[in-house]
Amino acid sequence: MIGCSSDLPRHEPACGFRTYAMSTRSSRGRGLLWRLLVVSVGLLGVVGCGSRSEFPSQPIVLICPWSPGGGTDRVSRQLATQLSQSLGVPVNVVNATGGGGVTGHTRGAVARADGYTLTMATVELNMLHWRGLTKISPDDFEPLALCNRDAAAVFVRSDSPWQTLADLEATIAREPGRLRASGSARGSIWHVAVAGWLLEQGLPADAIAWVSINGSGPSLQELLAGGVDLICCSVPEARGLLAGGELRCLGVMAESRHPLTPDVPTFREAGCDWVLGGWRGLMLPLGVPEERAAVIREAVLRTVESDAFAQFMETAGFNLTTGGPAKFEQLLVTFDRTFKEIFATAAIDAVSESPIGPYGFPLILGGIGAGLLVLLVGRGQLQLQTDALRLTWRDLPRLLLVPVAVAFFMLTTESLGFVIAATGMLLGLLLVVRVHPLTATVVTLLLVPAVYQLFAVQLGVPLPWGILGW
Amino acid sequence: MTDALMTAAAEVFGRYDIWLIVLAAAVYGVFVGAVPGLTATMAVALFVPMAAWLDPVAAIAAIVTMVACAIFAGDIPTTLLRIPGTPASAAYADDAYAFAQRGEADRPLGAALLCSVAGGVFGAVMLMLLGGQLARVAVVFSVVESFWLYLLGLTSAVLVSRGSTTKALLALVIGLLLSTVGLSAVHVDARFTFGRPELYQGISFIPAMIGLFGLSEVIRNLASGTASTDQPKPQAALLSGRLLTSLKNTLAAGLGQLRRRPRQTLRSSSIGVVIGMLPGAGADIAAWISMAVSKRLAGNYETDQPDRSSLNRISDATAANNAAVAGSWIPALVFGIPGDSVTAIVIGVLLMKNITPGPQVFVDQPEMVFSIYLVFLLANLMLLPVGLLAVQLGGVLLRVPRAVLLPVIVLFCVTGAYALNGSLFDVGVMLVMGIVGFLLERRGVPLGPVVLGIILGGPLEERFIQSLTAGGGLLGLINRPIAAGLAAVCGLLWLTLARSLAWRRGPVPDL
Repeated sequence: MIGCSSDLPRHEPACGFRTYAMSTRSSRGRGLLWRLLVVSVGLLGVVGCGSRSEFPSQPIVLICPWSPGGGTDRVSRQLATQLSQSLGVPVNVVNATGGGGVTGHTRGAVARADGYTLTMATVELNMLHWRGLTKISPDDFEPLALCNRDAAAVFVRSDSPWQTLADLEATIAREPGRLRASGSARGSIWHVAVAGWLLEQGLPADAIAWVSINGSGPSLQELLAGGVDLICCSVPEARGLLAGGELRCLGVMAESRHPLTPDVPTFREAGCDWVLGGWRGLMLPLGVPEERAAVIREAVLRTVESDAFAQFMETAGFNLTTGGPAKFEQLLVTFDRTFKEIFATAAIDAVSESPIGPYGFPLILGGIGAGLLVLLVGRGQLQLQTDALRLTWRDLPRLLLVPVAVAFFMLTTESLGFVIAATGMLLGLLLVVRVHPLTATVVTLLLVPAVYQLFAVQLGVPLPWGILGW
Repeated sequence: MTDALMTAAAEVFGRYDIWLIVLAAAVYGVFVGAVPGLTATMAVALFVPMAAWLDPVAAIAAIVTMVACAIFAGDIPTTLLRIPGTPASAAYADDAYAFAQRGEADRPLGAALLCSVAGGVFGAVMLMLLGGQLARVAVVFSVVESFWLYLLGLTSAVLVSRGSTTKALLALVIGLLLSTVGLSAVHVDARFTFGRPELYQGISFIPAMIGLFGLSEVIRNLASGTASTDQPKPQAALLSGRLLTSLKNTLAAGLGQLRRRPRQTLRSSSIGVVIGMLPGAGADIAAWISMAVSKRLAGNYETDQPDRSSLNRISDATAANNAAVAGSWIPALVFGIPGDSVTAIVIGVLLMKNITPGPQVFVDQPEMVFSIYLVFLLANLMLLPVGLLAVQLGGVLLRVPRAVLLPVIVLFCVTGAYALNGSLFDVGVMLVMGIVGFLLERRGVPLGPVVLGIILGGPLEERFIQSLTAGGGLLGLINRPIAAGLAAVCGLLWLTLARSLAWRRGPVPDL
């Protein structure tokens, strides 16, 4: 029996923590702790149960490679809400952003193929591998359903001299290299759209200087501020300024006119045979067992073809283009061929020249940092602070306590699940700092499930599931 | 206009369901803001599916309240556990935490709450009176001006740091260098990733911040070996006995601070609004710049009473960051250009309700616009009671024995870092940053500038290279009037910095 009386045999100090932190508790306090222990174990049973055999029985993760608030995020969250209703389990959106889409697509492709991870893939999946940024390509996914295709469009300020696409092309041909454009980062879909348009018209791809600005919002801001002359992005992204008369749309790179801008001709109508735009669609990693993939596929197809989704897409201004796996696969193959050609022409490379190379900024910083270090060491200012602890090698075990605990969590959480890994970490730490074992057990058993409940269930953070249904 | 205002007022204040929604959103916002690793953006994104069931005013009211409350609530873990809830709180994390260690947590929290409310209310009023005109200013900001603004923010972080300027500068450079890890936005080139796809996303600042401040403090405490015998510092006021006394004390601490410095609070709030509305600049830069301005303008900013000057820093920063929240809505409403991820989500919600933000909405639906303004006012007023209660609840943490609290903090650091992106890589970043923070602090290198460096390093480089491509060469950096003005201010600040960096015998005086 641990901890029933207050005169416990004192253990040898481990790591220098001398006494039980709460050993002075009265026996009445102990009684309370025992009761809490019973309650928390009971709660564990309530929270932890509910393992069903049929698929899906756990929350599903929907990876969105772009940040919250963007178009892809909005579509993802709408689909997640509808999917969780039809599948009967929570569908949580995770924004795995960064790396121009590399991070999210990579995570989606290498995810455990158990059917619990979906990816909202975007057109960048077709582009990134041709640019040598990742090895992940559409071949690493099993396409489920296409949701949306948005065409590129060209915008100028309404006080600019260009009334039609032909006006703009004339200026570009007369003074190549004078005009500046943006819409997104260098090498992105909108940049490729502009480069392809210029090439199609027999102009060099660098006849317009591309200013690499991340995202259409900041690019629109830059257009208004006069920093760039034209913008290429999708029509819904610019609809606010378009409705307010601040912008003029010169052409849409689509097969047909955009419903939000019925007066604006397509590029084809304006005499330029060029069509390009982005797509979004849901995918599974390769290797998901067919009976699970079938459940997901059926639910996803039903969702993207539902009236609720169509209505959402209409009010949000996104073009609704749906299609099953076969149509989606076909689209991926076509896009991959288009981008292979564009990236092979080196047209993008030619305009990708930046005034300062990628290592320029780190080099300057490294130089300044080295200078400061020399200055500080020279003046003897980098000494230990007067109030800092004097540590010797004997203190190393105590120093390593937190790193070892966190490393334990990182190594075990994927396989054992969050609850077990966190319990191990917390209980271990509490015991090492000599908290009374009973107190430590109660704190751990109350807190870990509470944190799990809060983050995973209430807030939709996909904490790892492990064995024992946790 | 008055008609529209009256309609809007009836709509916002006259509906009991709006009050209920604002109350619920305030509680939710405070909660999300107070848990490290959960962000206001996440809270708002989770709320969007629910927004489909609400009418536009109610949906916007909920979002505004969540964001305004979350940014204040970030100060609670900052003060009690030294885990900054928001990057803006990193500016004064050490100041606020020092109070808690002395058993006076109610003073910084009271000041932060009252100044947050004041800043938020001021921001709402400015939004109402000058939104349209300010938006015109915001849109002349091109990449060049943003570049100088970021530089100004970084310089401010060095200026307001305690202790040696050289060390603050070193901290900043470390942060900037860390920001270069990953796929650079402007070159689209993988740097320092060693071929590992996880590193492409770079070092996210939230896990870094949790590690640098929170985990490093745990490591320090555990290393000292006294954790098991340390008793929690009895707090002078927080939950010391009767709830009412404690509430009164917190309120009094905040009111006293407001009454002592009305002009400074006004100034910090104005800086917050202006910086918040500028593209790409948010509450974090606003907090640091307003601290720097107060320090330059007021000779007695660093008074002979260190705790008074700490409180002043906290007040200035919190007033500015809450005002910045209102400011960030200006370009979103007036032009439909999202200034940050929260306003991007808001634009999505408005579109869902068939309202297209942009110049046209002011003509077609002025009562809608006024409703949003009034909701801002209501949200910030609601923050006062909800925030007060939250502070008292947070005070419970301080009664937990340190031996129990420290391992629990580790659990929260780990979960918070994981929650951001659902990635174990971020937990690793948090751990490494915890060790780095521990080592840096032993040598007296401040941590605040590291955080700002990580946040602004990427955008700074991006804007610099964009300015060079867009403006054509180095001259392009100063050939626009506002850019030239900002450049001049930066230049002046650097002169001050250079003077204190110059070789001198003996210890360098604190700047």
